[in-house]
Amino acid sequence: MPRLREEILNDLADNVLNMREDLAVKAAKEAVEAGIDALDAINNGLVVGMNQAGELYDQEEYFVPELVICSDALYLGLDILKPHIKAEESEKEISCVIGVIEGDTHDIGKNLVKIMLDVSGFEIHDLGRNVPLADFVEKAKEVKASLICLSTLMTTTMDSMATVIEMLKEEGIRDQLKVMVGGGPISQAFADSIGADGYASNASQAVTVAKNLCNVLTTA
Amino acid sequence: MNDMMNIPEDNQTSLERVLCYLQGKTPQRIACFPLILNHAARVLGIPIGEYNRNPELMGKAHIAAYRRYGNDLVLIFSTTSTLAEAMGTKLAFFDEDAPQIDVPLIQELDDIKKVIIPDFSRDGRLPCYLEATEMAVQEIGAETCVSTVFAGPLTTAAALRPIELFVRDLHRNKERVHELLEICTQSGIMFIDEILKRNSLPIIVEPIGTGSLISPRHFREFVTPYLKRMADHIHAHGSGMPAVLHICGNSRPNWKPMLEADWNIWSIDSPVDIGEAREIAGSHVCLVGNLTTTNLLKGTSAQIDEEARVICEKAMGSPGGFILGSGCEVPFDTPPENIDALILAARKYGRFDQ
Repeated sequence: MPRLREEILNDLADNVLNMREDLAVKAAKEAVEAGIDALDAINNGLVVGMNQAGELYDQEEYFVPELVICSDALYLGLDILKPHIKAEESEKEISCVIGVIEGDTHDIGKNLVKIMLDVSGFEIHDLGRNVPLADFVEKAKEVKASLICLSTLMTTTMDSMATVIEMLKEEGIRDQLKVMVGGGPISQAFADSIGADGYASNASQAVTVAKNLCNVLTTA
Repeated sequence: MNDMMNIPEDNQTSLERVLCYLQGKTPQRIACFPLILNHAARVLGIPIGEYNRNPELMGKAHIAAYRRYGNDLVLIFSTTSTLAEAMGTKLAFFDEDAPQIDVPLIQELDDIKKVIIPDFSRDGRLPCYLEATEMAVQEIGAETCVSTVFAGPLTTAAALRPIELFVRDLHRNKERVHELLEICTQSGIMFIDEILKRNSLPIIVEPIGTGSLISPRHFREFVTPYLKRMADHIHAHGSGMPAVLHICGNSRPNWKPMLEADWNIWSIDSPVDIGEAREIAGSHVCLVGNLTTTNLLKGTSAQIDEEARVICEKAMGSPGGFILGSGCEVPFDTPPENIDALILAARKYGRFDQ
C-alpha cells in the first residue's frame, strides 16, 4: 500500500531537517515511484525542511555544520527529483550573482546565503571566492541578473564593494538590479554609505532582504 | 586638549599596569589592548608581506608600534594559519595582505597520517615568530607585556583540511577529527613551551570555535577538552602567566563551554555585549574588548571615544577585571589617531584613582 503524499512530503522535510542524507534520498525515490509531482516534492518537501533548518539557525539551535549537512541532504534529494520536473512547470527564477570580493577567500557565509537563496527560488550564479570585481559586472550582464550579492569577512576588502557599485553605474546597469552586501565587518550603515540596496547579517535574513528587494511575495 | 588636562599622568609603566591584573592589585587605570598585529608593519612603513616573513622586521615593527602608541600588549602574529603552515598547509603570500590558506594538507582523510608535530627551529615561519618574539622581549619586555599569538587546535585543524570538508567531518568523521585535534594540541603545547622559554606570553586564538560557526555542543566536544589541556599547561608551566584566549565574532552561544576550558582572560569581539559577558565571566574571567574594528578603520576619533566610553560603562568594575581593547585585529590601515583615541579613552573612562 503506497503511502500518502503528505507522509512522503513530511519525510522529505524531516530528513533534510534532521541531517539524514540516506533517508532523504530514499524518500525522494519513494516520491518518484508514488508519482508525486517532482516540483511538489521539492517545494513542499525538501525545501520545507531546509527552511526549517534555516529557522533553527536563526534561533542558534543549528550552526554552520548543521546547515551544511542539511543542504547536503537537500541536494541529494534534488538530484533524484530534478530529472522528473516537467519542462513546462519550471518557473522563471530570479537571476542572482553571488561571490566573495577579490582579496578574500572566506566563503562559509557566502555559501550559506547561496543555499538559502537557492531554495527560495533564486537562480544562483556563484562566482566563488576571491572574485575579480569586473567579474561581478560581466556575469550580471551575461545572465541578466536582478540581484548581486557581495560578501567579505575582511576590512581590507570591504571598500571594493563600493567599487563594484561604481562599475555597475559606469556600465549603465545599476538601476536594472539590486545589490545586497554582507559579511563580518559590514553593517547597515556601511551598506547605506556605499549605496547598496540591502544588507543582511546572516543567511536566513538574507533571504528576507533579497525577497523584499526583488518584490517576491513570501509564501511561508 | 581640554580632555587631556583633566587626566592624570600615568604613574605606572605599561608592564606594571598589566601586572596589577595578575597580582590582584588595582592599577591606576585600566590597561588598553588595541590588537595591533599586521598594522605594526604600517607603523614601520614596510609592506605587510615583508613584515610577516622577516623576523627582524616583524620584531622592529612591533617595537616601533609600541613606541608610537604605548599599547599595553604587544602581539607577535601574522595569521591564524601559522601553526598549520608549519605542519604542512601551503599559504599564499601577498605584498599588501596577510597570508591566506592556499592548499590545505589534508585533502583525503587518510592524509591525517601525514600530519606531524613541527620542528620549531625550522618549519614554516615558526622561527620567524620566535626570533621576532626574542627581539621584542629584549627591547621592550621590561616596559610592556610581549605576547606571541597562534591558533588553537580547532582553528589549526580547520586550516589543515579544506574548510568545506572540515565542517562535514565534524558530523561524519568525528574520530578522525579528534585524531587531528590531538596532534594540533600537542603541537600547540610545544609552541607554548617555546614561547614561555622566551619570556613571552602565549595567547591562543580560536576563531573557528566562535558561535557564529559552531554550536555549544560541538564546542564542548571538539574545543573545550583540548583548550583545557593548553590552559592547564600554561597554569603549570607559565610562572604565574595567565591563560589568554581570543575568540572572534559572536562567541556568546559558546560562553558556557568556554568557561569550562578554564582560561583566565577572554578577548571578545564587537558582536557580543560586554555587559552580558560580564555576567558569565564573574570573578573567574578578565574581559578584554570589544570595540568594533570597522569603526577603528572608518570612524572618527570622537566616535571611537564614544564607543569606548559605553564599553567602559558596561565593563568597569567587572569582578574578574576588564581591559579596554579592540574586538579583533586593528585593521591594517587604521588611522593612528583612532588607536590614540582608544588608548586615551582607557585613560579617561577607566580610572581607579578618582
